[in-house]
Amino acid sequence: MSSKDIKFIRMTHLKGPNIWTYRPVLEAWIDIGDLEDFPSNTLPGFNERLQAMLPGLIEHRCSVGQRGGFLQRLTEGTWPGHIMEHVALELQNRAGMQTGFGKAREAGPRGIYKVVIRTRNETVSRAALQAARDLVMAAIEDHPYPVNQVIADLTQMVDRLCIGPSTACIVDAATDRNIPSIRLNDGNLVQLGYGANQRRIWTAETDQTSAIAEGVSKDKDLTKSLLANCGVPVPEGRNVASPEEAWEAAQEIGLPVCVKPVDGNHARGVSLELRTQAEVEAAYHLAEAEGSDVLVERHILGDEHRLLVVGGKVVAANKGEVASIVGDGIHTVEQLIEIQINSDPRRGEEEDFPLDTIRLKDHTTAVLELKRQGLSGQSIPEKDRHVVVMRTGNMAIDVTDLVHPDVAELAALAARIVGLDIAGVDLVAQDISKPMKAQGAAIVEVNAGPGLLMHLKPATGEARPVGQAIAAHLFAENSEPRIPVVGLIGQENTTGTSHLIAWLLHLQGLQTGLSSAKGLFLGQRCLHAQSGMEWESAQRLLINRSVEAAVFETTARHLLSEGLPYDRCQVGVITSMPKAAGLEDLYIHSDEQMPNVVRTQMDVVLSQGMAVLNAEDDEVANLAQYCDGEVTYFASSADHPRIVQHRSENGRVVFWRKNHLVLAQGAHEIEALNRQLPAIDKVFKNKHLKCMEVLAASAAAWALGIQTDLIRAGIKSFGQSPGAH
Amino acid sequence: MEVSRIRALRGPNLWSRQTSIEAIVSCEPQEREMMPGNEFEKQLRRIFPAVGPLEGSRPGQPASMAHALEKITLSLQNQAGCPITFSRTTATEEEGVYQVVVQYTEEAVGRLALAWAEKLCLAVKSQTAFDLNQALTELRDLDEDVRLGPSTGSIVDAAVLKGIPYRRLTEGSMVQFGWGSKQRRIQAAETDTTSAIAESIAQDKDLTKSLLLAAGVPVPIGRPAKNLEDAWQIALSIGLPIVVKPQDGNQGKGVTVNIVERELFNQAYETAARYGEVLVEKFLPGSDYRLLVVGNKLVAAARREPPLVVGDGIHTVKELVDKVNADPRRGDGHSTSLTKIKFDVIAIARLKLQDMEPSSVPEKGRRVILRNNANLSTGGTATDVTDDVHAEVAARVVVAAQMVGVDVCGVDVVCESVLKPLEEQNGGIVEVNAAPGLRMHISPSFGKGRNVGKAIIDYMYPNGDNGRIPVIAVTGTNGKTTTVRLTAHLLKANQLRVGMTNTDGVYVNGRQIDDGDCSGPRSARNVLMHPDVDAAVFETARGGLLREGLAFDRCQVAIVTNIGSGDHLGLNYITTVEDLSVLKRVVVLNVASDGMAVLNATDPQVAMMARMCPGDVTFFALDAHHPVLATHRAQGKRVVYTENSNIVAQQGKKYFRIPLSDVPLTRQGQIGFQTENVMAAVAAAWAVNVPWETIALGLSTFISDIQGVPGRFNVFDYKGATLIADYGHNPDAIQALVQAVDNMPAQKRVVVISGAGDRRDQDIRDQTQILGTAFDEVILYQDACQRGRSDGEVIQLLRDGLHGAVRTQYVQDIQGEFNAIDTALARLSAGDLCLILIDQIEAALAYIQGKVNESQLTSAK
Repeated sequence: MSSKDIKFIRMTHLKGPNIWTYRPVLEAWIDIGDLEDFPSNTLPGFNERLQAMLPGLIEHRCSVGQRGGFLQRLTEGTWPGHIMEHVALELQNRAGMQTGFGKAREAGPRGIYKVVIRTRNETVSRAALQAARDLVMAAIEDHPYPVNQVIADLTQMVDRLCIGPSTACIVDAATDRNIPSIRLNDGNLVQLGYGANQRRIWTAETDQTSAIAEGVSKDKDLTKSLLANCGVPVPEGRNVASPEEAWEAAQEIGLPVCVKPVDGNHARGVSLELRTQAEVEAAYHLAEAEGSDVLVERHILGDEHRLLVVGGKVVAANKGEVASIVGDGIHTVEQLIEIQINSDPRRGEEEDFPLDTIRLKDHTTAVLELKRQGLSGQSIPEKDRHVVVMRTGNMAIDVTDLVHPDVAELAALAARIVGLDIAGVDLVAQDISKPMKAQGAAIVEVNAGPGLLMHLKPATGEARPVGQAIAAHLFAENSEPRIPVVGLIGQENTTGTSHLIAWLLHLQGLQTGLSSAKGLFLGQRCLHAQSGMEWESAQRLLINRSVEAAVFETTARHLLSEGLPYDRCQVGVITSMPKAAGLEDLYIHSDEQMPNVVRTQMDVVLSQGMAVLNAEDDEVANLAQYCDGEVTYFASSADHPRIVQHRSENGRVVFWRKNHLVLAQGAHEIEALNRQLPAIDKVFKNKHLKCMEVLAASAAAWALGIQTDLIRAGIKSFGQSPGAH
Repeated sequence: MEVSRIRALRGPNLWSRQTSIEAIVSCEPQEREMMPGNEFEKQLRRIFPAVGPLEGSRPGQPASMAHALEKITLSLQNQAGCPITFSRTTATEEEGVYQVVVQYTEEAVGRLALAWAEKLCLAVKSQTAFDLNQALTELRDLDEDVRLGPSTGSIVDAAVLKGIPYRRLTEGSMVQFGWGSKQRRIQAAETDTTSAIAESIAQDKDLTKSLLLAAGVPVPIGRPAKNLEDAWQIALSIGLPIVVKPQDGNQGKGVTVNIVERELFNQAYETAARYGEVLVEKFLPGSDYRLLVVGNKLVAAARREPPLVVGDGIHTVKELVDKVNADPRRGDGHSTSLTKIKFDVIAIARLKLQDMEPSSVPEKGRRVILRNNANLSTGGTATDVTDDVHAEVAARVVVAAQMVGVDVCGVDVVCESVLKPLEEQNGGIVEVNAAPGLRMHISPSFGKGRNVGKAIIDYMYPNGDNGRIPVIAVTGTNGKTTTVRLTAHLLKANQLRVGMTNTDGVYVNGRQIDDGDCSGPRSARNVLMHPDVDAAVFETARGGLLREGLAFDRCQVAIVTNIGSGDHLGLNYITTVEDLSVLKRVVVLNVASDGMAVLNATDPQVAMMARMCPGDVTFFALDAHHPVLATHRAQGKRVVYTENSNIVAQQGKKYFRIPLSDVPLTRQGQIGFQTENVMAAVAAAWAVNVPWETIALGLSTFISDIQGVPGRFNVFDYKGATLIADYGHNPDAIQALVQAVDNMPAQKRVVVISGAGDRRDQDIRDQTQILGTAFDEVILYQDACQRGRSDGEVIQLLRDGLHGAVRTQYVQDIQGEFNAIDTALARLSAGDLCLILIDQIEAALAYIQGKVNESQLTSAK
């Protein structure tokens, strides 16, 4: 019985497209030992115990394809690797990291499995897999397992390590539009698009959000005066330095007033609708405690609204909720808050909940609000008495469709005056569906980097596609977020081919990055001379803002152990089918397994992209079926049956005919190169290039729209510049 | 002597183009004429020898105390370091009352200088003590405090040289360049295109390094440490020597370099930890360089040295530091090219590391470092090396800036020499700083200063753009508002978003953003601040001009509709038509050199302004043969006139004609004053290159109704009688109205008029005198604002004017504007004409409109 255990042999983070899927996964190798002899249906009580711990498993469709599918597999009998996959995914989802993809496959030797789960964060997935193993073992051995605690821990981990929900909604919207993304730090700094065409976001700020504008938005006084200059209605007010001066200002402005810190960011230290000297002075102290100057303003009657302006347009609007309770003559205010307000399932402490729980000890404004009504947390309001607990705080009610065009225009103008491309405009109005001036409404604040969650998860009303709006602001309909990316794999000729392609792109005038077996190159410069194919190193090219085109050589080993450094490519080149030899440590034992490994290079070709395949290698040529885009075949002879066939179907082909390199499509032919010319012949004689390399590279260059005379010139000059290889 | 009413003239003004303080000063009789060599002047020179020569308003005239005040205010500012030259004192009509005007560079400093000057005068007079040093110190400190810092100042200076207007947005270093839709902002050396994200990246050294590494830029490897032990492990893995510094630091706080052993390492860690997370990095050998990138270009480079002294074998370290600090170039603040070396605990601690104390005497030639970092603010020095930077180094630095995403930044490079590529010498980029200080490049301690302010301005405003939008200023006695509205309408027809100010409010792109009389500089400034304005048309009234000066340094077009016999004379020391003309010509004086003054050729006061205009002149006149216009035309210059029921615009042999019948505002040319307004607006639109087709289209679509120009010749039909409502309130306006109305057929002619109390008696009488020749019946009423006159006084003046009237048969007094309107309407039959000179524009028009609607309803029934 002692060998009835699950052991991890290795865990690998595949950071890019891989043999399993397009997206990053965590691949674990496990040894289940004697459990190989004990499928789930043979372990008494196991399935019941497992379901009791994770009732959500019923939603897993598994290969059966319908709800309860996985449970059916459990009943029929399945093995721990497969069970761990589902348990890990369930744990990840429960923790707030939404993932659907998983796989479990026998690796070869008895009891050894590869378990794969989609990951959005390596650390979280490692922990989830470890927990899945422990949970499955607990279910097998009938031990108690603290599943709720584990999920709580994982949830915290997700909150800490994954990108926040505001950023995530922009990234997801970009992903939907096939815009790639790269996370640049442990926080919410994300690059959308590649190389020179990239844009950056950091939560709801973009790389075009001006630092000065952000500074202006934080200075409420300056913001207000700039807005007022341009005729945007604002609450009049002034800065004060003492409680006495605050009261003086309040009388001068006219009651009621509100009091707030000048440099505050959120609702902290803000008190509204103050009518007495005592209230104003108390509010002064509250605001002063936030550590900046204090501002006294005319209180604008009405509800708080938050309008999200993106690229000059209002894309979402929410209204603040007024949390209130009704007395029953029995319970205290504090109790009523618990019963009538905090019991709402939408309320919680974490960022994900649309509404905050209200605790008087944390919400001083609520205390002040109650005090104004003559109440404290311990008071017992008489039956049916309506008590407002808090006005500031949650912008919970979507009102996007109600916003009057005048209001929208002024909100957009306010953002423009401050200079922000994305802004959260706070305004107070009695009725957002009416023009501002007539109702005495005012814009009270313009915020840089506004939270998006309130628009994604309003407590009431429709969720708004603010992520799409921001993605659309960053990338207009016809803009190109990608740069030309060429990926190569093969048993041989890939290094020379990749260098020749990079050289041609360079001659085309593009700042070209190249990662190959010889190193990492940027234009004519070698950044480092060891292998440049490591994932981390290769990905640098896509992060680099100056890179206008990138060429990536890769190998089966890199593909299996790291994944590709890019998500999709314009051109995918396979020169020949790699051999399995040397990959035994990765459980690759026969050449037959190789096409399944290498096909990834085809899977990632964009639908408007091109596969460049060696027609003379059947296994390579057969991978054409996995390519979403077009196919160019190359061969050393025009007569190869596949070349003839493809050409007859009006496909592109590249071949050598006698001493001529020919690019052909249907009847159309271009003779790109003549080996009889001494300058060309020298290149081959000096072994700068091989015939196959020239074929593959020319085909790729053609796919990239490089002119034939440039291809010719590039081949002629290849290797004559010291940096070229 | 008494100083009253101090004003800050914040733009070009009656006196000069300079921003100035203006004070009204009254002098006692004995203070009015102070002969040369008098006791006052002697005493004054004893206290303040630097004061300039005292002179009266003209050479040879004796100076008054007001003149002394002027010169003292000027000299005090000069002595405090303000570069100003202009001052003037003018006697007013009132005996012993003077207007004293003194230029300022900073308003607060100007005001303080005036206050001190007054105190000095009184001290001299009363023979009491005066502390000149205190005054100068205060002025100097205030100036240093309020004026722009050297970095921002250098950018602003470059902008001014390029003709770009600027305005400070805060008391700090935030400045706006340009106007309207062409505005840009800076804050110190940060521009409005400096991305907030990029700035955050630059703040995070670790992130910056990883991005630079991705871009192939050499950086010192290293990473942030979790704790002391982790830090030491990192140090060992990188290999000594290393640097320890806080992750988010500035000005070199908490940084320790070149650490080779554990004990110093521990200390360094502790120091850095005080400022946040600690970063351990490879130490790069060599000097600190700061390379400034603007846009995608390297524009300056400096080698920076920490504060140090070189031993001479005689003096102690302390003495050596004092010697260095005695250098007059070393100041205390940020404004000089060098700052005094701070000899504090940090310096002493640094000495200790070199086995020295303040009293040690270093041997000759020994370099004694007093601080680890090379910041100028702690006494470091900067040597310009811009011309030495190797192209490869420049390329890396530019890529670094680009990778982080900051458009203006200071890149810190450590290497042995910038003459060689970084890769050849183990050099690297250690930091990218947003909002870099420019002082070390503008005035380096050694080597050539670089005009980096210009580089930043050229980057913000490429291709010679000067950030200006067309500004058209309209002034004159009558017709301003209509001309403003029509000009704005023509610009709008040319697809421009127009900002407009006039006596009814401020309008931007069709939206009214302010109401009330907005013909002053504050409203105009607001328009120039508005991001949606492509062109601006400003009604420029006398009040604002006197109070604050112009809202702009110069305009593209100045229109002067007319001066005539003036309006509001007698107020604010503007007594004669000539005075008024001198005031109004300020807009003409401040036309851009490539701009245009549009002047009424038939008004002699206006026509005379032509020679004051730095730009070109377009004359307009109804009469094609008016000598001024004809001469101008003969010279091949631009003119606009009427001929054969056409408006003709002509320059040399080029003509453009618009039939008056296509310009509804002129009622087929019947209303002469409107035709004049149209010609002025056409000339202005022509001056800013609005195409002729657009001008013609614009004129055909402009209607002077209540919506278009409320209160300006609004015509109504009331039971078959013609009602005309107008705001005209001075003899010229009334004369023009009478001419226009004369062209309109009518049986009985009725006029309703009140008099504004703030006009001179003669002006009020003149109005009814004119009306008496053209109207059968006159209804007089007393308006809402009598401006200090007693009840019935104005009515009496109006009645006086009607004395002996040739046409008027019937005169009636009514209390209240609406009652007067009712009375007049009751007296009308079909075919009659009634001119109502309204007072409360909005209310009266609404009232008349109501009456008209009512009559239409009744007749419909």
